[in-house]
Amino acid sequence: MAENAERSEETLYKPSPKSIEREKQAMEEEPIEDLSSLLLPNLNDLPQNPPTAVEFNFSRYFLPDFTKPGHDQYIYRHANGLCVIGLAQAHVALKEEGGVTAVDFNVGKSDRSELKVTGKRKRNAQHFESNSALCKVCTNDNFYIVRCCVKGSLLEVNDRLIKQPGLLNSSADREGYVAIIMPKQGDWLKIKDSLLSYEDYVKLRGLL
Amino acid sequence: MTSPGPAIEWQTALGNAKLCLPPCHVIRDLLSTGVCVRCIFRLSGIHDRDCYISPINESELISVLEEQNEIKCNSTTSTNCCVCLGVLCPSCVVPEKPGADLREISSVNELALLISDMVKGEQYRIDEFSLEVSLPPVITANERALRLYLKQKYEKEQWFKDSFLRDHMSVKDTLKLVLNASLENYLAVQNVETLSSSFRIRLTYSHSETSQKLQSMLPNGHDSKKRERGSRENGSSKNCNEPDASAYRVLELIEDQNFCAQFQVPPGKVDKPCQLVVACCRTPTYIGGRYLKYSRNVSQSRWIIDDERMGETSVEEIIGENVRQICQGDGYKFHSAGREDIDVRMLGSGRPFLVEVSNSRIVPSSTEIEQISDKINHTDKKLVGVKNLKLVGAEAWDLMREGEAEKQKQYAALVWISRPLNVDDVCNLTSLKDMEISQKTPIRVLHRRSPLERSKVIHWMKIEKVEGTTQYFLLHLCTQAGTYIKEFVHGDLGRTHPSIGSILGCRAEILQLDVTDVKMDYFD
Repeated sequence: MAENAERSEETLYKPSPKSIEREKQAMEEEPIEDLSSLLLPNLNDLPQNPPTAVEFNFSRYFLPDFTKPGHDQYIYRHANGLCVIGLAQAHVALKEEGGVTAVDFNVGKSDRSELKVTGKRKRNAQHFESNSALCKVCTNDNFYIVRCCVKGSLLEVNDRLIKQPGLLNSSADREGYVAIIMPKQGDWLKIKDSLLSYEDYVKLRGLL
Repeated sequence: MTSPGPAIEWQTALGNAKLCLPPCHVIRDLLSTGVCVRCIFRLSGIHDRDCYISPINESELISVLEEQNEIKCNSTTSTNCCVCLGVLCPSCVVPEKPGADLREISSVNELALLISDMVKGEQYRIDEFSLEVSLPPVITANERALRLYLKQKYEKEQWFKDSFLRDHMSVKDTLKLVLNASLENYLAVQNVETLSSSFRIRLTYSHSETSQKLQSMLPNGHDSKKRERGSRENGSSKNCNEPDASAYRVLELIEDQNFCAQFQVPPGKVDKPCQLVVACCRTPTYIGGRYLKYSRNVSQSRWIIDDERMGETSVEEIIGENVRQICQGDGYKFHSAGREDIDVRMLGSGRPFLVEVSNSRIVPSSTEIEQISDKINHTDKKLVGVKNLKLVGAEAWDLMREGEAEKQKQYAALVWISRPLNVDDVCNLTSLKDMEISQKTPIRVLHRRSPLERSKVIHWMKIEKVEGTTQYFLLHLCTQAGTYIKEFVHGDLGRTHPSIGSILGCRAEILQLDVTDVKMDYFD
C-alpha cells in the first residue's frame, strides 16, 4: 500500500509491534475514502457507447412483412421468457407523412387496453394466436393492424400509446413498445427459427 | 452416582411420609390392583425425593407400614404399574441405537447414565438442560380410572374425606423429580425447570398395546392425520402429535359415567413396560451481523437453475456454512434484511443478516465468533465480508423484519447519458427531494411477480462527476425500500416514470450499481 511505503521511507527504525497492529486494524476498517475509490470506475473500462438496456437484457428478433408487406415488427425476448412486441424501424406506418397519429386497442372481439391481469400466476390473461390483432395504428391516410407475432398470454399493452401515439414516431424501439406477451416454451420454439436477428434485419432493409 | 444411600436416609423419609399415606388395607388393595409403590406415594402427596429413590418394594412397604419385621407378603405384582405403565418403576425399553435391539432399563441410575452417554456422545457443550417428558394419553386415562375406583370404593371412609388425592404429583413431575438430580450429577450442569434452557432432553414414552385399546375405545373424532409427519412403518413409537392431542381432548370432555362404561376401572394390568425414545436437541442458535458483498458474480442466496449454478457462489453459503461449522450444527437458514442482485455489490455499512443454526452442538463464545469472522474475512478471494458478528436472541428475526418498508437504502449507480452532462442537469437532479415515482413491475421480474404499479420515493440524489468523461457520472441516491434502481435509471421502456432519462430529457443507461448503506439500528 502507498501509505506503508511512505512510512518506511520516513522512518529509520522498525515500527513497534503495537503500531503494526494498529495500522493493520486501520486498514481493515475501510475508511470512507476507500469506499469512494471502490465506487469509481476504471476509465479504460468505459465504452464510448455502452449497450442499451434493451440490447443488454433482451434478445432482439425481427419479423419483416408480417402477414402483409411492409408490416415489420420486432420481438424482444427476455431471459425469463417474456416477449415485448413492437413496430420495427422500417414499418410502413413510420414512413408516412406525419407518422402515427392515433393508436386504438379496440380491435377484434375486445378492447385490449381493458384487460386486467392479476397475481403471480397471471390470471385473466387472454390467450392469443400469433396473428391475433393487438391494436390499430393510424396515420393521416391509413391504418395498420399490429399483431402478436407469437402465440401466448397477453400480459400488458402499452396504454401510454393511447394518449401519446407520438411515442411510436420518436421511439418505437423503446417507450413505443406495443405489448408484452408470455408464450409457452413450446410455442416460442416453434417460431424462433423463422425470425431474423438484428444484424440480418438491418442488412435486409438497408438501414444504418 | 452414589450407591443407594444408607438405609437410614430413606427410612427417615419413609417414616415422615407415613402420615400422608392411606391406611394399610387401602395400600394392600392398591398393590394387588397393580399400582406401583411410587404411584402410591405420589398420589398420596409425598414430595420427598428420598422416598422415590429408595429401593423399597411392595412387600417391604407393607412390612414398614404394619411395623412388622421381615414378614413377606404374598402380593406379587407384575413389574409394570397399571397406572404409570412402568415409567416410574422405572422400567422401560430403549432402542440401543435407532432401529436396533431393545434394551431394558430398570433403575434411575441406568436411565440417567443412558441419557448422559447420549449427550456426551453427540459432543454437546452445555451449561444447563431442560427435561421434556411426553407420556401416552392412556396414562391419564389410567389415573382417572384409578381415582374413580378409589372414590367408588372408599368415599365413605374418613381418610378419603380428609382431602386425599388433592395434593398429588403427576407422573411427569414425579419422573422429573427422580431423574433431574441424577442427570445433574452425570452431566455436571444444572437442570432448568421451565423449558427455558436452549438444550432440551426429550423423553417420549409410548405403549402401543394399551394406546391402541384406548384409541378404539374413544368415540371418533380423530381421523388419521398420521400422515402429517411422513409416517414410518414401525407401529411401535408414533411420533405424531395429532392422535395424542385429540385423545386428550376427548378424555377431557367425556363424563365419568361414560368413561366408566368404556374404560376398565380400576385399570387393567399390563405385561410390557413403555417404550422410550430419548432425543436431545438444542433450540436454534442465532448469529447476526452485517455482510458486505465485493463481487459482481456472487448471488445472495443459492441459485440453481436446471442443475446449473448461477454465479460463482452465494453469500448465504459462504456465511451460513462457516457459522454452521464452528457451531457444529446440523443445518442453517440464512435471513437478511432485503437483498441485492447478483451483479450489485453491497458496500459501506453492509446489510443486516441472521443465520439460524439448528441443533448446534456448541453455543459459540465470543472468541469462537471472532473465529467465524476471521475465517470469512480472510479467504483468498475477497468475495464476501462480515461485520459486527454476534450471538443474538430469537427476537432478532422480528427486529429485522420490523418496519422493512420504511427503511431507506443508499446506492451509487454508474450512469451513462446520450449527451454530455451539463450544470443544469446537476442542479435539476440534486434539487429533487422526496420525489415520488411510479414503477410498473419491471419486465425482468414480471414473470414471477404480480403486475402492479408501485409508488416509491426517491429521497435525494447527488451527482459525482467522473474525471475524463462527459457522458458518465456517478449517481448517489437515497430511496425508499423496494425501489428498483436500475429501472429508475433506464426507465424500463417508460414503465417507470419519472426516470433519470425522462427528467434529463435524453436516454440514460446504468452500467453498475452498488448499495452503499442499509439504514437499520439493531445490527450496528
